[in-house]
Amino acid sequence: MNEFDCGLGLKAATSIQYAQAVPLAYSIDRDLCIGCGLCEKICLAGAINYDDKPKRTELEVGAAILAVGNELFDPGVQEVFAYGKSPNVVTSMEFERILSASGPYMGHLMRPYDREEPKKIAWLQCVGSRDTHECSNAYCSGVCCMYAIKEAVIAKEHAHGDVEPTIFYMDMRTYGKDFEEYYNRARDEHGVRFIRSRIHTVDPVEDGNLEITYVDDSGELKSEIFDLVVLSVGFQVGEESVKLAGRLGIGLDKYNFARTDSFAPVATTREGVFVCGAIQGPKDIPQSVMEASAAAAASSVLLSESRWTQTRVQEMPPETNVIGEPPCIGVFVCQCGINIAGVVNVPEVRDYAKTLPYVTYVEDNMYTCSQDTQVKMAEVIKEQGINRVVVAACTPKTHEPLFQETLMNAGLNKYLFEMANIRNQDSWVHGKDPAAATEKAKDLVRMAVTKAALLEPLPDTELGLEPVTMVVGGGVAGMVCAKNLADQGYEVHLVEQSEDLGGQARFLNKTWKGEDIQAYVKDLADEIEKSPQVHVRRSTKLTNVDGFVGNFSSTLKNGDKQIELKHGVAVVATGGHEYKPFEYLYGNDPRVLTHLEMDARFIQDDPLLKEIKSAAFIQCVGSREPDRPYCSRVCCSHTVESALELKRRNPDIDVYVLYRDMRTYGEREDLFREAREKGVIFFRYDLQSKPKVSGGKDALEIELEDQILKRSVILKADLLVLATAILPSEAGQLTTFFKVPVNDDGFFIEAHAKLRPVDFATDGIFLCGLAHYPKSIDESIAQSLAAASRASGLIATGKVFASGTVARINPMWCCSCGVCVSICPYSAPSIMEEGRFAGKAEINPVLCKGCGLCVASCRSGAIDLKGFAQDQIMAMIDEV
Amino acid sequence: MNDWEPKITTFLCNWCSYGAADLAGVSRFQYPPNFRIIRVPCSGRVSPKFILAAFRHGSDGVWVSG
Repeated sequence: MNEFDCGLGLKAATSIQYAQAVPLAYSIDRDLCIGCGLCEKICLAGAINYDDKPKRTELEVGAAILAVGNELFDPGVQEVFAYGKSPNVVTSMEFERILSASGPYMGHLMRPYDREEPKKIAWLQCVGSRDTHECSNAYCSGVCCMYAIKEAVIAKEHAHGDVEPTIFYMDMRTYGKDFEEYYNRARDEHGVRFIRSRIHTVDPVEDGNLEITYVDDSGELKSEIFDLVVLSVGFQVGEESVKLAGRLGIGLDKYNFARTDSFAPVATTREGVFVCGAIQGPKDIPQSVMEASAAAAASSVLLSESRWTQTRVQEMPPETNVIGEPPCIGVFVCQCGINIAGVVNVPEVRDYAKTLPYVTYVEDNMYTCSQDTQVKMAEVIKEQGINRVVVAACTPKTHEPLFQETLMNAGLNKYLFEMANIRNQDSWVHGKDPAAATEKAKDLVRMAVTKAALLEPLPDTELGLEPVTMVVGGGVAGMVCAKNLADQGYEVHLVEQSEDLGGQARFLNKTWKGEDIQAYVKDLADEIEKSPQVHVRRSTKLTNVDGFVGNFSSTLKNGDKQIELKHGVAVVATGGHEYKPFEYLYGNDPRVLTHLEMDARFIQDDPLLKEIKSAAFIQCVGSREPDRPYCSRVCCSHTVESALELKRRNPDIDVYVLYRDMRTYGEREDLFREAREKGVIFFRYDLQSKPKVSGGKDALEIELEDQILKRSVILKADLLVLATAILPSEAGQLTTFFKVPVNDDGFFIEAHAKLRPVDFATDGIFLCGLAHYPKSIDESIAQSLAAASRASGLIATGKVFASGTVARINPMWCCSCGVCVSICPYSAPSIMEEGRFAGKAEINPVLCKGCGLCVASCRSGAIDLKGFAQDQIMAMIDEV
Repeated sequence: MNDWEPKITTFLCNWCSYGAADLAGVSRFQYPPNFRIIRVPCSGRVSPKFILAAFRHGSDGVWVSG
């Protein structure tokens, strides 16, 4: 049985665990092995040590990072779901494998019972999560809503639309960046049906189908038959992890997640031991990736003295000289699972590539970017004597560096590489026209091959790096980032446009775990002030940025004073602020407050809070609206925390919460439960029937449609708190200064939502805090540490490499007109003052950014751009 | 004339429009398959000669974006 495919497929006793395994090596499964030992005798390489035993290795380390992850909840322990009784009840992980092109069904959407394509598929949310029964977990697993929607949408893609997905849920928790928009699209465009309900039972009926009995929003008992049921199972900490934590002596919380403090989110209770990922609490990939970098940053502080002491240098094979050799082009066509192969006829494109001039080798791969294919590719290049490589796959914007590294590993100059974009710009955008998409793919491959034949090896230039970081924004995010870099021994300039450090955190009362934010911010600001490595620049504005990674030159303005700052990297931590609403009588009635105004009353210990008889909260004010579709993520938790705080101060107070979906994700779910236990009353409302607030003399009156009573209800409240949206700070000129984008909502866009959550696509610029997306203070701190880690990664090496794609002038043809000198935004060309070519222009390759402006404007055709040369582009045009 | 399809040579700046074309793919926007995209480091790289060459080689339209 193949465990990686969740038991849906088979494997032999000797096998590779999965196609992308690292290291990519066979191993013996002792449970399946019959013990014949034949493998050891017949292995020609003598690679098998049949009697190999586990070894114990001792390492001396200065810090340890725990990233052991989680297990999935086993739904077999709850009989109501019929898991184990019917093969057509699968877990979400099993369904992932079913959808995977490298999975047991090769990406064909089939159900296990009869390998038929299911039409009606149901997802049941919160299986093993948000459930206080003994065999379940009380917390929210935080990721299941989003993955269920994703699986529903992808299932439709795999089946080309003939699937009717239904998601049974309690609260739809799409609280991450762009998640709410994805949810809206799934519902409105992809036709995914969402049913707010509680599941009663899943019963097997005839033909392997399943009958789901549920109670809907109005309390009515209903049932419906489905072909396949997917259980959205949650996380739980595995037994082995608990034992490991015991051996390491780190504290665990009541759910066995590693105990951390909101202000040190990756530090365990034991000094020097750090955590990241789902062992710290349920979380998704971006948050895990951020924490991974954060843990690296936190441990770097302890290890900064020993940096570079145990470094091993990667040996690169010497570069093969290909100058003068006829081109031998290898073409690798990627299927990208079904992303490309589901639309483009990949074998046809591959065979077509074989017919093109100079192409000596072709192949297609399921995932060209996978570790195993990369290793094979390097071997093929060497064996086949390939000296130019074309990969037809996704996009060079994300994958060019990876393939270039493979070329270097095979001894080829990395510029002997060209990509044909047959995914992002072909299969994904012409999904409904496979024939035309295949023709386009062939054209793109032909164009790429034609250019590849003309490619020449180019040198990269090594440049120095200014070991200084500029952090823009002096809120918690900026301060944490600056402090970590300073603690690692690097110089930081912290630029804050207002007079005070602390940002929004100055107005917050407590974290969701109950820690005092005021005290923390004060201490942090004091430490920043005292740090000799951090130069705090208050009331200072950034007015210009020149240069590039390693060598930025920024202009700062403080009053009339202007400062030029040289720095190697920059961190954008410009934060956000609370939306000031116009609805619900805000601004017209002093009894209507925002969250921050409520927090201010908590901080001031307002005696009124003990006197009032009732308070109400309205959620999603300014969020999840048609013109501001995103979820502000933190407001649900903030509300239940404030509701509990009111109850703590005055146990007799009536507290009402008017919500659309309660999004107390992760262990924050405990607060939601506690609030209900303490008597806080929750009313759900829809976007179509929002509550109406009127200002009575004695109390505010809030009218809403009760979902259970099905009638209008009027609540009286002495205080109304609006959970308003979080807006990003105005990005202003930062977008042009750093050449970084913002999304429709004004939040900065990171290089990759999952894999590079704190990097920008522009090298040397990093992102953290509310400027990225609304988040709680612990998440902000983790992201800021991550940004510090990414920044220090560059600073520590002390150098950057400038691309070899630079302009070069043939002085024999130069007519000394000076157009290139005047036109270049980077001052790379200049007129030579002496030597044989005095009076002619030359280009400083270190300053040249390779834009090609001078090339296009040179009237003598004396300038050419390496890598995007005249003959190369002309050849591509010829082949369009 | 009804089944005539134009062929459009497209020069996209690596830093903006080419990335936008990638994003269109990520967002699964559907558009006609008549474009052939040539990636350039900057729209400033596009010399008038390229545009003329594209027409000379049979393009019905040229689109420069950056």
